Amino acid sequence: MGIQRRSFLIISTLMAAALSMPVSAQAATPKDQLVVAMNMSSMRGLDPNELNQLEAAEIVANLYERLIVLPAHDITRPMPGLAESWTVSPDGKTFTFKIRKGVTFHSGNPLTARDVEWSLRRLVKLGLAPSVDLRQWGFTDKNVDGLIKATDDATLVLETPEVWNPNLIFYSLASFSTSILDSKLLAEKDKSGDMGREFLQTADAGSGPYSLRTWRVNDLLIADAFKDYWQGTAKMRRVILRHIPESSGQRLQLEAGDVDVATRLSSTDLAAVEAGGKADIQKTPGFGFYYLALNQKDEILSNPKVREAFRYLIDYDGLAATVMKYYGIEQQTIVPAGLPGASHAAPYKLDIDKAKQLLAEAGYANGFSKVYYATPVTPEYEVAQSLQANAAKAGIKLDLQGGDHIGKFRNREFEIFSARTGERLPDPHAVLASYATNPNNADDAKLSGLIAWRSAWDVPKEIQDMVTEAAHETDQQKRSDLYAKINEAYLKASPALVTSFQRTDAKAVRKEIKGYVGHSTWLTRWDTVSKGE
Amino acid sequence: MSIAKTTATMPNRGSAALGAVRKVTASFAVILTTLLGLLLITFVVGRMVPADPVIAVIGDQADHETYQRVYKQMGLDQPLHVQFATYLTNVAHLDFGQSHVTKNPVASDLARVFPATLELATLATIIGAGLGIPLGIVSAVRKGSWIDHLARVVGLLGHSTPIFWLGTIVILVFYAKFGLIPGSGRLDVYNEGLVDGPTNSILVDAMLAKEWEVFRDALLHVAAPALILGYAAMAYLSRMSRSFMLEQLRQEYVLTARAKGLGQRAIIWRHAFRNIRVQLLTIIALAYCGLLDGTVLIETVFAWPGLGQYLTSALFFADMNAVLGSVLLIGIISIAINLLSDLTYRFLDPRTR
Repeated sequence: MGIQRRSFLIISTLMAAALSMPVSAQAATPKDQLVVAMNMSSMRGLDPNELNQLEAAEIVANLYERLIVLPAHDITRPMPGLAESWTVSPDGKTFTFKIRKGVTFHSGNPLTARDVEWSLRRLVKLGLAPSVDLRQWGFTDKNVDGLIKATDDATLVLETPEVWNPNLIFYSLASFSTSILDSKLLAEKDKSGDMGREFLQTADAGSGPYSLRTWRVNDLLIADAFKDYWQGTAKMRRVILRHIPESSGQRLQLEAGDVDVATRLSSTDLAAVEAGGKADIQKTPGFGFYYLALNQKDEILSNPKVREAFRYLIDYDGLAATVMKYYGIEQQTIVPAGLPGASHAAPYKLDIDKAKQLLAEAGYANGFSKVYYATPVTPEYEVAQSLQANAAKAGIKLDLQGGDHIGKFRNREFEIFSARTGERLPDPHAVLASYATNPNNADDAKLSGLIAWRSAWDVPKEIQDMVTEAAHETDQQKRSDLYAKINEAYLKASPALVTSFQRTDAKAVRKEIKGYVGHSTWLTRWDTVSKGE
Repeated sequence: MSIAKTTATMPNRGSAALGAVRKVTASFAVILTTLLGLLLITFVVGRMVPADPVIAVIGDQADHETYQRVYKQMGLDQPLHVQFATYLTNVAHLDFGQSHVTKNPVASDLARVFPATLELATLATIIGAGLGIPLGIVSAVRKGSWIDHLARVVGLLGHSTPIFWLGTIVILVFYAKFGLIPGSGRLDVYNEGLVDGPTNSILVDAMLAKEWEVFRDALLHVAAPALILGYAAMAYLSRMSRSFMLEQLRQEYVLTARAKGLGQRAIIWRHAFRNIRVQLLTIIALAYCGLLDGTVLIETVFAWPGLGQYLTSALFFADMNAVLGSVLLIGIISIAINLLSDLTYRFLDPRTR
């Protein structure tokens, strides 16, 4: 009894002591440092000519610079970056760039047109995923040495094999992949002719406002402000990116003030953060869509009425108010909002009866069953579940299967598939080239870079011709009119690729952070950031 | 006589030495076969995972030509057995390949992530064993008392509470609500980058560099995840040590000792405890092995950049070199811990000598 009483007293005292412990002051990040929570799991090295992913693109955007800058608030307007000025020849094929003087790399080497020449050629020659940014305009490893040349230290001449709308070239030269690398440093670091690939996986060779200090994969990245940056040293002395894979972890740290920006939050956490009032939610529109692909090799799904029926089975308004609140903007047409030719037309609404009627007209009044592949991540899977429920009401039984089915989609081995895309050029061509061109619909054509081909959709020739014509058109007004026409024709064609929402990327930014602006082509800058009270 | 003695003992010594060599060779053969089997199974299972390593590298929008180029660069155009043989040859030369995800040599990745897990698992094992074994013994000795009931409830809770749930609750209450513990990760941002190498264990490195503020910060960061893992280990170890002890206390020699008039303390610690040391060592080794390769959930919740997170991420992206390297390391560590506990038995239990 005595022992029990003594133990009880000890436990009570300990508990009282624990409860009366002073609660530590709320954390705060240092005034001169920006701390960003990221999920780094899918980051692949830091070589601008190799990576293909949003988080890494933001880092490269700050370690390196490009000839052209696309301002976040005016994304379609090419502005001088490392190129001070430029001219385009009357035939529209030769671009001459004057390279800014007085720019130095983090190594101390001066940046010249020779570095620009070497970097752009390197992108094409390595031929990795982002090389499409130049290869799509006709550059190949065989012709690039003849087409991209530094005529002196301050002049770079770039010739395109064909005439393209000049904006397409400018936009490509503003992409993270066309970052300018320190050719002298990389020549020193070259390992058996790898053009510095191994070195660049974990180091930087740029001239951007920040230089890489530490990078521990799936853990931490520290970048220091570059003191000799030609536009002046950035206000944030240091930027720290922390790998916090869990959305709830990011949210708690953001709310506690241990991080300034959270980049990967679930819609539940975004809503909670918004309600908490400590941070603003930035919804940055991206140039891609949430889409539903109907395989046209399937007899039922290739029926235009069936394809149209699916458009009436998507709950656009319901999704926009719930799971898609932070992830997308309702968009039924194919040109992303804010780009030439865009339209807000939204002729479709959830209408089960209309869908049933269309199915009956197509000869499937009793419905049918199909296997439906969807990526099991938010919000794609919720969107798929919503479609599955509505389809069931119309008599279509969808066997929804999560998992990684992208390989099957690329090889046309699917019935119904849904996912989202993200393009990096702020131009309708980037989306249309993939959604609305398919020059050869044969299986062995293997045009697996195009989602129209993956869906086996023989895109109407009229649409494909207009897409090609618009890409070559140099008159901006004519081009805009063409895109408006394409938009209309695409909607009418009852496409095999049904778009429902334009992608947006949501980030939560604490209210005291100023100047951290989400960028539609993934190039958010840190040198514009400052911290208030 | 002495000559005869010498000639008589010589063959014995020779055969003893031969026996020892045979034993060591056999042990090595078993270890090598185990590791080889482990690698083979991982390789085959890894190839059956539906994730496509090429797409993980180039992104899903890349064209067919890029896909083919990278497919070849990654050596995936070779038959499976050739790929496996190449991997084994490289491993024999201590080249574990490059991770497709991190782009680093797998060996350097492991040298970075493993110490983080080792730090966590070692602390958790110390906490688990330090609290669990005395608790188990006390509850066995005082079977049926309130302390026994309490220990069993604590043990049951530790067994049945999902560790990621407990981690989340601890973060919610002690970090988000009361601000008593630091946030996730291994250090506060203020202390990042102050200590670098050589062991990649921040606690050890900070001590070596005499950066006491960093050491304190690292200790505060590791405390919560280590206590949670330690609690789970404690639950297991206390239940096991309770039942081992109860078993011993039922033995006749204990009755004899009591009849001899020996005190309770001497009976428990000098007699009964001595007899369960080998069993305890076995379960501690097992718990330690489990913690070294099974901390992935807690690593995810606490954003702890350890081996569990590395392996999971590698599996998601079909990063076979990283998966194989991690599995090999886990295999070697498990074997090493088992060997070490085997060796320790010899000191603790004369019958095993």
